[in-house]
Amino acid sequence: METAKVLFTIFGLEVTGHVTTMWAIMAFLFVVLVLMTRKMDKVPGRFQCLIEYTVEGLLNFFSGMMGKKMARRYFPLLCTLFLFILVSNWSGILPLAGHVEGFRPPTSTLSVTAALALVAFFATQFAGFREKGFGYLKHFFQPFIFMFPLNLIEELVRPLSLSLRLYGNIFGEEMVVAVLLSIAPYFAPALMQMLGILFGFIQAVVFTTLTAIYISSATADAH
Amino acid sequence: MELNLSTVIWSIINFVVILWVLYKFFYNPVLKFLDDRSEEIANNISEAECSRNESTALLKDYQGKIAGAREEAKNIVAKATKAGEEERAAILAQTRDESAALLERARQEIRRERDQALYALRQEVGTLSMMAAEKILTRNINTEDNQKIVEDFLNEVGDVH
Repeated sequence: METAKVLFTIFGLEVTGHVTTMWAIMAFLFVVLVLMTRKMDKVPGRFQCLIEYTVEGLLNFFSGMMGKKMARRYFPLLCTLFLFILVSNWSGILPLAGHVEGFRPPTSTLSVTAALALVAFFATQFAGFREKGFGYLKHFFQPFIFMFPLNLIEELVRPLSLSLRLYGNIFGEEMVVAVLLSIAPYFAPALMQMLGILFGFIQAVVFTTLTAIYISSATADAH
Repeated sequence: MELNLSTVIWSIINFVVILWVLYKFFYNPVLKFLDDRSEEIANNISEAECSRNESTALLKDYQGKIAGAREEAKNIVAKATKAGEEERAAILAQTRDESAALLERARQEIRRERDQALYALRQEVGTLSMMAAEKILTRNINTEDNQKIVEDFLNEVGDVH
């Protein structure tokens, strides 16, 4: 397995192709979401309709899982996770992805998915403390105190499973495309890439849904 | 499958940055916009409902008023028709009475005239008879004379008329 080449370093931090692609995705999200929604019209045009549909659809989706209030409070986090992962996954379908230095789909490396899972993990802990104060810690000792080790492991395994699932799916899908490309370069990879669109979407949904459920359970009233 | 610590740190930094930027410049304004619009639409709907109810009430009110006015107009026309009818009847009756009275008066006049004429005629006849008797008595009477007297008398009468 190849190791991502270090392109350059900033403040001693190595910048790889995954990082530069992430920057491009951030710029893309910024342009699409921020610059193109500067002028919101009361009667929406096509593009605004798409944005509104996406935002309201996601908001309703999260509301169904964690209640309207919580969904609204953690919507920016969840929606950004979703869009960031979705665009990252789909960036692998673009031509040249993975073949040019500086253009590597971020979610195809464990480093990035682990970072996202860490964000989700800390966001969950933060939400728990924010909504319940130190009473949040009680859930580690329920239903009785001896369950503490198991509860702790469960809590710590979550980011691990989140990151590995996302990484495995996207990386695996890309490997399959690469292998197909070398065996039958004409139609098979295209078919796989079409499936890749679907998988990319599903993985983004799974990651955000699980995060929403973790936050929801961390902030829910103790039973 | 190895972790590049730099990439992990970069990813966290990147995610936090884009989250903050989107929070500031996308979620806040867009959600606020959507909320405002929902509220505005809800307000508009309730306002429309209000004004619809109001206009329905007004319409009912006006319909009632129009019906009342129509009823009133009908009453007025009926009353006027009845009054006209009565007036006509009264005028007719009066006229009939008057004409009857006139007729009666005319009849009386005629009767009086006729009586007067009869009376005058009777007087005349009496006078003439007296004159005729005078003549008969003053003349030597014979058949011829009688004949003559009668003829004279008749002539005289004819002259009088």
